[in-house]
This record gives sequence, structure tokens and C-alpha cells, in this order.
Amino acid sequence: MAAEPLPADVAALHYRIRQMEHQIEEYEDTLGAIRRGEIDAVVVSDSAGENRIYTLESADRPYRVLVEQMQEGAVTLREDGTVLYCNRRLAGMLGIAHERIVGQTLQQFLLPDHIADFDKLLNEAKRAAARSELTFLAASGAEIPVYVSLSVLHDDDLTLMCGVLTDLTEQKTHLAEVADANARLLNEIAERERAEDALRQAQKMEAIGQLTGGIAHDFNNMLQGITAGITLAHQRMIAGRTEKAAALLDAALNAANRAATLTQRLLGFGRRQALDPKLVVLDDLIGGMHGLIQQTVGPTVRLDLRLQDRSWPVRCDPNQLENALLNLVINARDALPAGGGVIGIATAHAALDPADTANWEGAAPGEYVRITVSDDGTGMPPDVIAHAFEPFFTTKPDGQGTGLGLSQIYGFVRQSHGMVKLDSVLGAGTSVHLYLPRAKAQLGDQDADEAPESGPAPVRTAGPVTVLLVEDEPTIRGLAAEALRELGYRIIEAVDGPAGLKALQQAVRPPAPARINLLVTDVGLPGGLNGRQLADAARSLAPHLPILLITGYGGDVITGQDLLGPEMAILSKPFTLEALARKVQGMIDHAKVK
Amino acid sequence: MAYRLRLVVAGSSLRAQRAIENLRRICDGRLRGRVDLEVIDIYQQPQLAQEYQVIAAPTLVKLLPLPVRRIIGDLSEEERVLRGLEIILLAPDDSDGS
Repeated sequence: MAAEPLPADVAALHYRIRQMEHQIEEYEDTLGAIRRGEIDAVVVSDSAGENRIYTLESADRPYRVLVEQMQEGAVTLREDGTVLYCNRRLAGMLGIAHERIVGQTLQQFLLPDHIADFDKLLNEAKRAAARSELTFLAASGAEIPVYVSLSVLHDDDLTLMCGVLTDLTEQKTHLAEVADANARLLNEIAERERAEDALRQAQKMEAIGQLTGGIAHDFNNMLQGITAGITLAHQRMIAGRTEKAAALLDAALNAANRAATLTQRLLGFGRRQALDPKLVVLDDLIGGMHGLIQQTVGPTVRLDLRLQDRSWPVRCDPNQLENALLNLVINARDALPAGGGVIGIATAHAALDPADTANWEGAAPGEYVRITVSDDGTGMPPDVIAHAFEPFFTTKPDGQGTGLGLSQIYGFVRQSHGMVKLDSVLGAGTSVHLYLPRAKAQLGDQDADEAPESGPAPVRTAGPVTVLLVEDEPTIRGLAAEALRELGYRIIEAVDGPAGLKALQQAVRPPAPARINLLVTDVGLPGGLNGRQLADAARSLAPHLPILLITGYGGDVITGQDLLGPEMAILSKPFTLEALARKVQGMIDHAKVK
Repeated sequence: MAYRLRLVVAGSSLRAQRAIENLRRICDGRLRGRVDLEVIDIYQQPQLAQEYQVIAAPTLVKLLPLPVRRIIGDLSEEERVLRGLEIILLAPDDSDGS
């Protein structure tokens, strides 16, 4: 039979049959698979054409296992909180059998105080997922902190609440441990701060001990100087050798000046001292202090002064500079062996360029005058040098140094825009260099207030002013006279009332009256004429003579200015020489104005 | 990509895992580098069941090359899978890229 070509519709039919065979094969496969249970889910279209997926139990299992075994409690709730489903973890968390939870409201297992919060959360969850921390009560009575996350599950007509509950006990325990550790740490810090406070207090007490010990020692030395000078002077005066007595009294005065310097230092340490900078020529200042320095260091020490011939002027507080020099000299002396040695004091001009100051903290290039105080004593090891400028640091035996000297010098020099440098070699000696900036002004430029300070004490150019000093106590008279002479006054001394009156009469007697500008008299005088009577007599001789009465009796004997009369003043013992000087100057100035 | 395949599974059941494993082995074999495969969870994208005319899971759907073919089950018989998807007929000639 010959093969005829198939008409087109036959070919189409063949294709169609093949397609249908495939489809039937597919359906048979599907039916077979369903029969054999080789599938997990069947897709079914409902009357509205919506797909639903019917899951076989075996397919659900992993989710079931997931929900049952996960570490969080899981529940589904009705809108009122009734538990429809709860997983094993929640049952375990609460320690309550699973079947005793389902069908109850979840509220029943909450701490009563938290029920209202839960109801609120439930309401919020109907709008959007809501979360909160609530406390549940376990069967054991234990309170369990739980983080509750609620959301609404819409499944067709059924509205379910779905909750995930995380037990926070472990986390809280951990937090509590952290808090505990933190509290312990804070305790330790507080403990340590207490210990540090105690240590600081102890250090402070030690420092104060050093300070007071040092002061007591220094004062004792100075008192020794004063007492010895006065005693010797007294003996010589008794022996009639008065010309030697003056030098001894000078020594006593120097010791007293040093005591005053120490009190200045203490005041300076208490707060930053107000400096009174003036133009100072260092060579003149040091030259003027030579005697004082030699007395301070004692006869076994040789002073080697190497001064410039008229050094550049510097601007600083001359009193502070004197203090600084004395301090350095005392340090140098203490570094020398008992047998003595050499202390050098030198001045030099020093022009520092940037290369000189590059590695020198706080130093600025420029022109300086350098003062060097050096000794050939014990020197300092590096660890001592490192602390040398610290307040209260001292290497002197307990109670013998204040530990203030160098720190104060450092403070003063820095305040004066200068630098301090310390060179020391153990066993070979120490040099301390003070660099003070050269003053811009020349000596000729200064105004009247800026007279260059060139002596150890401020010298007042008082003109020819004469003071009659009547005092029976020779130490007081000598010291007072010395102090007033230092201020430039001419002093006539008298030992009792009659002697004073005699001096007054001589002064007013023509033809060459040696004018007396001020009478300073003790009130309690021997010789039948006391200070008050002397004052009256003086007024009759010179009606406008200013009179300063000195009394050891306080204010009771002569009370009130009205009883004193014009141009009269009173000064109570004990008084400082400065107070005396101020009073005397004040009265003379007042009289001059008149 | 010569083959666009979609495996429709229902969640992460053991059977779904087996189906994924089996299909991966087939694709890594003679179809390596020529398969565009997506695994679809019917729970997450039920609308695709209708689009692919899947009535049960797991089902492997071959979208390309036409005609569309489906094979149901865990795909454990490789020859049956390849035959069902009409892949075996194309495979020998595919190596030269025609």
C-alpha cells in the first residue's frame, strides 16, 4: 500500500493526540503520586477561584516541631486572652501542665499587678504588633520576667492573637550579675578613694610636720642669733664698750630680718605673692647683701662673688629676689661639709637664641641676666634633681628644711618671666642659675617711683629728718634706732626722761637749733620723768612737735585720741619695726603737709 | 539558559528536602550550567500554583523549552524525570550548542 501524504487536519489531529497523551500521562502520574502519598500538599480551587493549599500531616510536622521545640513560648489566643494553643516551652516556663493552660485565660498566669498591662497590650495588638515586658507567676510561685510579643493572625473569618513569650530570667540574672560586678567595682573605687584620701591626708600631715619642724628650726636659729647678739651687746654695754655693741646689735637685727623673711616666705607660699617689680641692678643688690649673706653662711664658708661691672637692669621684685638668693645660699651652705667650703655668686649677661632654648621647656629666647649660686658641696643625684622644685620636697633631715625654698624661687622667677636651671653632679657640687629677662627700660628712663633698688632694705630718701628716741630698754632702743636709721632718719637716743628733756632743750636752744622733727618716747621711763610728762614738757618747748608714745600697757593708761592731743599717736608693744617705721613716716609726712 | 525549571514545594518537609536534593543532582549532572531554577514554597506564593497549574506539591515544572511539562513527586527516579521533561531527547545534540 502506497503511503499517501496525510492531509493537514490529520497532522493537526496527530499533534493534538500526542498532547493529550502527555496530559493524560501527567494526570495519571499525579493521581498515582497522590494515591501513593508521595505529595505534601494539594492545591484546591474554591468556588470563587481562590487557591487553597491542603497540607498533609506529614508536611506540617516540621512547623509543629519548630513551634513546639523553639526556645520561646508560643500561644494563640482568643481576643479576650483565652489560650487556644500553647507550646511545650511555655508549659515548661510556667511549670504548669500544657492541658491546664489551654482553655484558661493567659491573664490567670500573670502577676496580678500586670494583668491590666496585658489587657492593654492585647488591645494594642489588634491594631499592630505590640510588645511589652510582663511578669508571670510560675507554679512554684517564682516570678518570671517575660518579654511578650503579640500580633493578630487573620485567617479568613477567624481572628486569632498570636503570642511569642521570651523568658528573661537568665538575661536578668546576667544583668544582675553585671550590676553586682559594677556595684563591687564602685565599692572598690570608693574604697580606693578613701584610701587615697587617707594617704593624701597623711602626706599633708607629713608635709605640715616638715613645714612646722622646718620653721621651728629656722626660727630657733634666728632667735639664737638675736639672743646671742643682744646678750653680748648687753654685756659690752655694761662693760662700757658701746662701740662694739652696735655691730652685735646689727647681727641680731639681721637675724630678726631673716625671721621676717621666713614669715614672708610662708605668706608667699599660702598664696601667690603680689610682686612689686622694679628696675633692679643685680650687681648692686648682691653687693648690698654681701654682709647679710656672709653672716648667714657663717665664717667657715668663703664667699666668691663674681659680679659684672654694672650688669643690665632687670625688672623684678627686689625683696623676692633677695629671698631667693638667701634661700639659694642657705641651700648651698647646707650642701657643704661641716668644715666649710666655697659658695660662688656670679652674674653674667646671657643672650639666648632659639637654639639655646629649643630643648628647654618654658624658655624663650632673648637677653637675660644670669645669677648663678654655686657650691662645691655634695651635689644631687638625678632623682633628687627631678623633684627639687616640688613644694615640700626636702633632702634635709626631718625638721630642718621646709622644702619650700626652691619651689618658691621657681615660682618667683617664672612669675618674673625668667627661667631656673639646675646643674648638679653628685659629689662635685650644685649650681643654680636664675635667668631674669633684661629690662627694656634703662636706668635713666625710670620715673620717680621706680628708683632702682640696690640695697637689702628699701632706703627712703627722707632728707634731714631727726627723731628723738627715748627708751630705757637698750635692746628695744637699739633695734628701733637701727630700724629708723635704715630708713634714713637721724636718730638722737636718750635713755630716760631727763636725758630726753635735755636733748630737746639743746635742740631748741639758739643760736644753732638742731631741729627735732619727731619725739618717740616710751611711756614707762625711770628717772622721775615718765613719757607722758616728757611729752608735756616737749610741747611747751616746741608746741607743734609730733609725738609718738610707745607703751607696753595696751590702751588703758592713755585712752582715746582726745586725751592724746593733736599730733600725738600711740604704738603698743610689742610692735614690729615695720609698724614703727610706718607710724614714724606717717607722722612726719603728716607734719610736713602742715 | 536552555531550561527554565520551577520546583514547587510545600514548606520544608522531608519530601521537599529530598526533591530539592534530587533536582540539584540532576541539574549538576548533564544539565550543568544550562538550568534556570527557582524553588517556590507554595505556602508563601500560593498564586503561583495556579499560574503553573500545579495541583500538588512537590511538583517540578518545566517552563522552557516548550511544551510546558510537570512531574510530581520527590524526583528520586532520574530517568523518569528526564523522560517526563523530554530532556533526554535533547541532551545528546545539546553539547554542540545547536
